[in-house]
Amino acid sequence: MLKSTFTPIFWVLTPKPNPQNIPSKALTRNFFTNSTPLVRHNASLNPATPSTPASAYIHLPFCRKRCHYCDFPIVALGSASTQTHLDPRVSNYINWLCREITATKVNQPASSTPLQTVYFGGGTPSLVPPALVSSVLETLRVKFGLCEDAEISMEMDPGTFDAEKMREMVALGVNRVSLGVQAFQEELLRSCGRAHGVLEVHEAIGVVKSCGVENWSVDLIASLPRQSSEMWEESLRLTIESQPTHVSVYDLQIEQGTKFGRLYSPGEFPMPSETQSAEFYKMASRMLSDANYNHYEISSYCKSGYECKHNFIYWKNKPFYAFGLGSASFVGGLRFSRPRKVNDYINFVQNLENGLVDSSGDGHIQGKDTAMDVVMLSLRTAQGLDLRSFQESFGGSAVLSLLEAYKPYVESGLVVYLDEQRRTIRIDDLNYSFLNKPNTEKRVAYIRLSDPEGFLLSNELIALAFGVIDSWKDCFPYQEAEAT
Amino acid sequence: MGYLSKASRTLRQSNYLSLLCSLNFNPLTNRITHGRFSVTRELFCPQSRQYSTTTRDKSAIDLSQYPPELVRNFSIIAHVDHGKSTLADRLLELTGTIKKGHGQPQYLDKLQVERERGITVKAQTATMFYKHSVNGDDCSDGKESPNFLLNLIDTPGHVDFSYEVSRSLAACQGVLLVVDAAQGVQAQTVANFYLAFESNLMIVPVINKIDQPTADPDRVKAQLKSMFDLDPSDALLTSAKTGEGLEQILPAVIKRIPAPPGRSESPLRMLLLDSYYDEYKGVICHVAVVDGILRKGDKISSAATGQSYEALDIGIMHPELTPTGILLTGQVGYVVSGMRSTKEARVGDTIYHTRTAVEPLPGFKPAKHMVFSGLYPADGSDFEALNHAIERLTCNDASVSVTKETSTALGLGFRCGFLGLLHMDVFHQRLEQEYGAHVISTVPTVPYIFEFSDGSKLEVQNPASLPSNPKQKVTACWEPTVIATIIIPSEYVGAVITLVSERRGQQLEYSFIDSQRAFMKYRLPLREIVVDFYNELKSITSGYASFDYEDSDYQQADLVKLDILLNGQPVDAMATIVHSTKAYRVGRELTEKLKTVIDRQMFEITIQAAIGSKVIARETISAMRKNVLAKCYGGDVTRKRKLLEKQKEGKKRMKRVGSVDIPQEAFHQLLKVS
Ligand SMILES: Nc1nc2c(ncn2[C@@H]2O[C@H](COP(=O)(O)OP(=O)(O)OP(=O)(O)O)[C@@H](O)[C@H]2O)c(=O)[nH]1
Ligand SMILES: [Mg+2]
Repeated sequence: MLKSTFTPIFWVLTPKPNPQNIPSKALTRNFFTNSTPLVRHNASLNPATPSTPASAYIHLPFCRKRCHYCDFPIVALGSASTQTHLDPRVSNYINWLCREITATKVNQPASSTPLQTVYFGGGTPSLVPPALVSSVLETLRVKFGLCEDAEISMEMDPGTFDAEKMREMVALGVNRVSLGVQAFQEELLRSCGRAHGVLEVHEAIGVVKSCGVENWSVDLIASLPRQSSEMWEESLRLTIESQPTHVSVYDLQIEQGTKFGRLYSPGEFPMPSETQSAEFYKMASRMLSDANYNHYEISSYCKSGYECKHNFIYWKNKPFYAFGLGSASFVGGLRFSRPRKVNDYINFVQNLENGLVDSSGDGHIQGKDTAMDVVMLSLRTAQGLDLRSFQESFGGSAVLSLLEAYKPYVESGLVVYLDEQRRTIRIDDLNYSFLNKPNTEKRVAYIRLSDPEGFLLSNELIALAFGVIDSWKDCFPYQEAEAT
Repeated sequence: MGYLSKASRTLRQSNYLSLLCSLNFNPLTNRITHGRFSVTRELFCPQSRQYSTTTRDKSAIDLSQYPPELVRNFSIIAHVDHGKSTLADRLLELTGTIKKGHGQPQYLDKLQVERERGITVKAQTATMFYKHSVNGDDCSDGKESPNFLLNLIDTPGHVDFSYEVSRSLAACQGVLLVVDAAQGVQAQTVANFYLAFESNLMIVPVINKIDQPTADPDRVKAQLKSMFDLDPSDALLTSAKTGEGLEQILPAVIKRIPAPPGRSESPLRMLLLDSYYDEYKGVICHVAVVDGILRKGDKISSAATGQSYEALDIGIMHPELTPTGILLTGQVGYVVSGMRSTKEARVGDTIYHTRTAVEPLPGFKPAKHMVFSGLYPADGSDFEALNHAIERLTCNDASVSVTKETSTALGLGFRCGFLGLLHMDVFHQRLEQEYGAHVISTVPTVPYIFEFSDGSKLEVQNPASLPSNPKQKVTACWEPTVIATIIIPSEYVGAVITLVSERRGQQLEYSFIDSQRAFMKYRLPLREIVVDFYNELKSITSGYASFDYEDSDYQQADLVKLDILLNGQPVDAMATIVHSTKAYRVGRELTEKLKTVIDRQMFEITIQAAIGSKVIARETISAMRKNVLAKCYGGDVTRKRKLLEKQKEGKKRMKRVGSVDIPQEAFHQLLKVS
């Protein structure tokens, strides 16, 4: 009923040309002279059900050595460490991790919302002995419950597991593997400081397939130093040939404080130029699409139905738990990052046990912040931003302000407006009108970035939306919005 | 050509000796003054320095003891960096006005800009008391040696601030003309000498920095003789660094510089020298009492505005504000009179006792604005903040002219006139440092005059105000010129002549100061020297050239308006007016420069320079190919958020023309292209 008190303004399709229509320019001006639309309070529209997380990220930080590009919170065990079950650093850590899980406050009993996805990330989770992984899963099961058919993913690195270990993991419930291949060229693997070679890559692929892991991903890195387009093409070809259900293509980021950060600057030799690395991105998009992979997120491709459910939780701005060193959770509207140093982390767990810290929020968050998160995360996906739910959360003028800002980029092909049936709306067919006009089904229902040009400029395009959201006049704290 | 004409005639030096004898010292008055003084010091000058004077009685700030005969007003003038402010330090220490080693060096350079740049920007007055033994005979006849009240004004050396020198000289009867013993006479030495000479001031030459290994005082003496006809035996040799020779200065000031000529019994006439705004006291005026006496509580009026005020607080700068309750003929001090804005305090105004009839003092010629530039808030929305900051700062720097203007690219802003480029720079810096304002400045321009076929004339202080395709044909244009003085070691003459002719200069004079130094005078278009001339001159002469200029007439010139267009849209704030022979080069330089400072965007950008509808230079910036963060490990979105927010903030600080985002840096960079 609140809905009717606002006049929702929408962009709809109008048959063109329409000489009787008020010239669209004039209308545009009317709507946008006040370029700072008011955003309404709408907790009542979006019932305050700060949903309980059904996903958990588990950080297993151990690596044999640190890769040259990596700035993640990891613990390097030394190159010889493939047998880690005797290493007290690992068992102690798992102990603290389980204590963190146990000490975490929850509102609901374990039975009400059992976990639907669990993601072991790292680090190199495959270095951790299955027995210890088992204890983590058991702790989760006791604390939150775990669905029968939960997606349990694990990042695994070539050279850190054999068929036996793989089978043990599968027996524990791991049903999705994310294989850290990165490249198929010996010299590139070496120059990134990877602890494995090409031989281990092929072995690992063989092991994963032979152990019957149906849902698995090859992770690749593009734009490595001295990577040629021939090499990149080869990596993509070999990936496609090994027939994973999922491919992740990450773009190398030169981070401060890493070895690469000291050696290289982006765009300068031996790093590929901006143009070259844009070409790499396009090549991946083209080759993988040709091989029937859907480009469903900026850096993710999959065969139909094999989207990573866990990652979708992030992109939909849904809540999730996170446990372990440096991990970031999103519970009760609060994004909480854990300490990145082992000692600090142990302190944190102790404080958590003593009730001195709380890693979840009270559900109250700044509306604009949420709007930015929703836009940032959903525009990473091929589905894009769902304007219906965005309007429900932030109001019609908020939607209009985005549509207006992106209009020039629709013209230049970086942004795509889709109708309810996900058909592309031609730019000449766009016009302003009111929702109470009959042709509602012709309104713009989704905004997405084009593939690959729009995805390639996603930072620019998202920052643009941030600017728009920032200039909204007011935004009341409200409960939660999901980029459904 | 003098900036000022002095109303007074100099007093004969011999007159004051006879008057000295008739002074009486009243011990009772002294004691009373002492008591009152210590109280007021605490009340009004909490932060003023502890001082000790060389006078026997510390309480002696009873100005009535200093009739004009015992007063000397002098300025320290020199070329840049010849040591004026350092010498002032030494004199303040010598007289106990400041404690030795306690203050910062160049004590009188109080502004942050002055301290950071190591230059004086604003003239500063300090009153000192000095006990002078007549004829070097120290009280052998049992009679007290008289105390003198000395007003020292430290002036800036840089050409932009010569207006400050002119004003200071109006309150003086003599100057210390300081010359660096190694560098010798330089361009501002010449300029400042003439300012003093034409004001009929007694000139005391001081050859400073004699401690330097390359010091050659004899050569400097010879230069002073040949250029200014100053007697070599009159020159004092000093080092403000080691202290050598300093003791001769104040005796020479007392002996050679005449006492102020005003008449105590005449009605009050004060010259308003300067004013500034103090948060606690309001407007503070610096004044020189030419005739008569000012007492606290007196009703006073301004000749310029006719407004009346009450002298609420009066005193001297010693060196901080020190209330004295009275100011006598010939003295220089301050007056707080409840003025609300420094706009009421017109520099050069005559202040007199309300309801008396006086002849106004001649005052000063108004400061001439040489360069104009637009000032805009760096963050679009901050117009009000900038407005406020400019209003406040112009209270303390009245030499800037300010009018509102609008730019399509930059929004609401101001067109400001400055005395020169350094002045402009200093103004910007003060706006930032003292008022926290962030500004974008447009390329400085000089005021041109355009005449159209219908006979109308337009003074153009902002190139954007000149139509690019005027309806009326332009029939003539004029540009301002300057007369420049250049002094250089003779081996650089060739290089300098080449430079000056590139800048469309016309030689007026070429002579030698001595066997090693050439002296040249040129008429140059002001535009040609405004931006980088001095730097260029210094670089081709290994830093040895000195340069000074004074404004001169307008001359006819072949000028065109050069527009800059981004994706076909003219950017008004980037328009310039250039000499037609230079249009192509400038156009190319501007477009090339812009190409380096404008970031790639999601579409291609064309940058064009055009005269009217004719494009004369063009660059393109290809579209950005890629800016993606293909990584979102472990759901840690906060990091990505921050990155994107930073990017958004960056965008917000840019100025948008059409769809092109222009970084503020672009406007700063354009300043560097001549
Ligand atoms: N060796 C030597 N250096 C000196 C002497 N007097 C001043 N200086 C130095 O010369 C530099 C300039 O001194 P200032 O007193 O600031 O010169 P100024 O004439 O006031 O400069 P402006 O106000 O900018 O015109 C400083 O580094 C001083 O330390 C001197 O007698 N000997
Ligand atoms: Mg100085």
